[in-house]
Amino acid sequence: MTAHKRTRGALAALGTVSLIALTACGNGGDAGDGGDGGSTGGGGFEPGNVTMIVPFAAGGGSDIAGRATAAGFEEVSDATITVRNIDGGSGAVGYSEFLGEAGNGNVLLATETALIALPATQDVEFTYEDFTPIMMLGEDYTLIVVNADSELQTCPDLVEKAKSEGADVGISGATGLDNIVFTLMEEETGASFNRVPFESGAELLTALLGGQVEAISVNPGEVSGQIESGDVRPLCAAAQERYEYEMLADVETAAEQGIDVSFAQFRGVLAPGDISEEARDYWIGVGEEFVETDAYTEYIESNMMQPTAAFGDDFTAVLEENDRILREVVGQQ
Amino acid sequence: MLDNLVLGFQTAITPENLLFCLVGVVLGTVIGMLPGLGSATGVAILLPVTLSLDPVTALIMLAGIYYGSQYGASTSAILISTPGDSSSVVLSLDGYQMARRGRAGAALSISAIASFIAAIVSLVGLMALAQPIARWALNFGPPENLAIILLGLATIVSFAGENVLRGITMAALGLAVSMIGVASGFSTARFTFGSINLLSGLQFVAVMLGIFAIGEVLNQIRAGGVTPIRARFRDLLITRTELRRSVAPTLRGTGLGFIVGVLPGAGATLASFMAYGVEKQVSRYRHEMGNGAPEGVASPEAANNAAANASFIPTLALGIPGSGTTAILLGAFIMFGLQPGPLLFAQQPDLVWGLLVSFFFGNLILLLLNLPMAPVFAQVLRVPYAYLYPLVLFVSLVGAFALGNNTFTVWVVFFAGLLGYFMKRFDFPAAPFVLGLVLGPLLERALVQTSAMGHGSLLILLQRPVSAVLLVVALLALSLPLISSVIGRYRRRHPARQDI
Repeated sequence: MTAHKRTRGALAALGTVSLIALTACGNGGDAGDGGDGGSTGGGGFEPGNVTMIVPFAAGGGSDIAGRATAAGFEEVSDATITVRNIDGGSGAVGYSEFLGEAGNGNVLLATETALIALPATQDVEFTYEDFTPIMMLGEDYTLIVVNADSELQTCPDLVEKAKSEGADVGISGATGLDNIVFTLMEEETGASFNRVPFESGAELLTALLGGQVEAISVNPGEVSGQIESGDVRPLCAAAQERYEYEMLADVETAAEQGIDVSFAQFRGVLAPGDISEEARDYWIGVGEEFVETDAYTEYIESNMMQPTAAFGDDFTAVLEENDRILREVVGQQ
Repeated sequence: MLDNLVLGFQTAITPENLLFCLVGVVLGTVIGMLPGLGSATGVAILLPVTLSLDPVTALIMLAGIYYGSQYGASTSAILISTPGDSSSVVLSLDGYQMARRGRAGAALSISAIASFIAAIVSLVGLMALAQPIARWALNFGPPENLAIILLGLATIVSFAGENVLRGITMAALGLAVSMIGVASGFSTARFTFGSINLLSGLQFVAVMLGIFAIGEVLNQIRAGGVTPIRARFRDLLITRTELRRSVAPTLRGTGLGFIVGVLPGAGATLASFMAYGVEKQVSRYRHEMGNGAPEGVASPEAANNAAANASFIPTLALGIPGSGTTAILLGAFIMFGLQPGPLLFAQQPDLVWGLLVSFFFGNLILLLLNLPMAPVFAQVLRVPYAYLYPLVLFVSLVGAFALGNNTFTVWVVFFAGLLGYFMKRFDFPAAPFVLGLVLGPLLERALVQTSAMGHGSLLILLQRPVSAVLLVVALLALSLPLISSVIGRYRRRHPARQDI
């Protein structure tokens, strides 16, 4: 057992060294400014070397969110935060590792819908209640979009078509945000869509542009380029309120068109379970300061999200609601 | 067009952009050589470093990492049978055999030249026709994809060698292993035995490292007492015959790679396998393939480079990533405040054309670096095996750890290594297994999508002209070699009849 542990440590060290060597190639003079002298948060908790776990591979949406948050948190606090991608099991491996950090205030995790979707569909040992919700960065609603030359004009048109002759919609998996939105639409209207499953937003968009499916439901950040060029046309936004972004200001919400459906994907930060009250308050304080910075606004705007930041218990409430809806949708199938 | 080209040259030829192009391709070569660090990871890791640069400069460097790694990945596949990336797995067939026969320098040179030609030809295609090609490729929906993947599977017969049954068995095993994890489009987990590590399936590159690198090392240990390959310097240079034999395969590989690379859902790995399969059917030297034929290096290498370039077509023309790495590059566009989409060519001509022209310089640099380096790299094989093999094992295991950042992946590599050893020992071909593993998830997804589009019926495959034609071609590709082998066997058994 000890021998096994030692190999593990040695390998970890090697992996880290090679990564550091690689990064060092072009990274001259970006030494962490470490630091002492606390300014943020309350007494009692001083962060050490903090790790931000991203449970997905480098380069994806979670990675971008995790890195933006880590940089932002570093700016407003004295903590030195290292991002660590723990990939595998559609996020399950990262969350499980995180579960083992209970009580450690120096580890954070960049979270999104997988936190709810994994326990609802897979045999994993955690639920959102095992962790300490710190902050929600914002919410990402979806737009129902069609190919520009489609005859459909509104979301009720799509529902009508599904009822009369059937409509193929693309989805990105059973627990995808888009599947939830279409399921909620079905419940609301009594229509039923024929689902064609794809793997990613890119594949969905390819299928829509190629006329393989009638409509898809995607985050605005994923289609803004195609909307601007006129290749793709939004029917409605499955959101509470209209977007303020200029390009999307004219897009009516589903509710305005008479279908009361809205569902968002959240992005946020978790701390492990059982951390001290002081540590929790400290990170919430850091989050509250981060939201005031330009870096936060830039992150939200470049991804066309809604800046609905929420902290601590308010974030927990969002998770509860998400969990309820998701289990309902998954349970039906 | 000409104006744009001039604009592109003006942008790409500034000293700063040339310098970062050089930095990108050199880093890419190194990243490509290291197993486990593919181009996608390389670009993702170095992305934050480039944020302080000018967007054009940064993108030139990041793209350089991408195509530079295509060159590097084949180097380690040829020399030590350790493919650096999934698209260079095929190179460990004939490339490695060439190296075993003392032609390592030649194999590396062929790979560099084939890569360069493929890159330049596909770049011209990319510049001239990006928009129309991108629109055309959109017509390829799930049914057409399914037909192409079946066509890819049909090439198994080419890889299987003498014993078709063993080839098909290994392909089936590959398909079965690829089914591990959560099913595409559903939330059901299969073959995971309750382990969360298996939820997203086995990492393709980890299995490859095991089968090819570790399996080969174990096999050589068993063979024992092999002396290192000591080639004289002039033997390291490519001969005129080898060069001549590489021309046609390079061009065929380029064409095929370009088409497959542009299609949604396929990619460089499939392209390189299909190119090898085609070569095995049409080449005059097809009987030498598998034992170190230049054709088996030139064609797949050209195909994977052409496919990598072609994946920029949907990326730049439509704003839809054409591969895992271009998806991360698109993320970089957004971080630089550029909105990828169909308007990119119109709104950012200097950026797009500067980037494209930089591909030309980057590939030229890679050719100039790789040709003289080929004999030098080939010297690696002079290292006594007592030192070389531990190094291969070490690099593979570190690579395995870097892949998933966990020890589970290391175990996957170990087990795949044992499997690879037994496959070699009992003469089961590895290539069909790999093909099954690569195509399994693609096949399943296309099948699920096609059946969803056909409301549960697969007749839709025959109702759409393109998929119907492709399906027929796949059937022919599968049956012709079988029929000819049956006829061949019949003739051998009844030689008298032929004389009549």
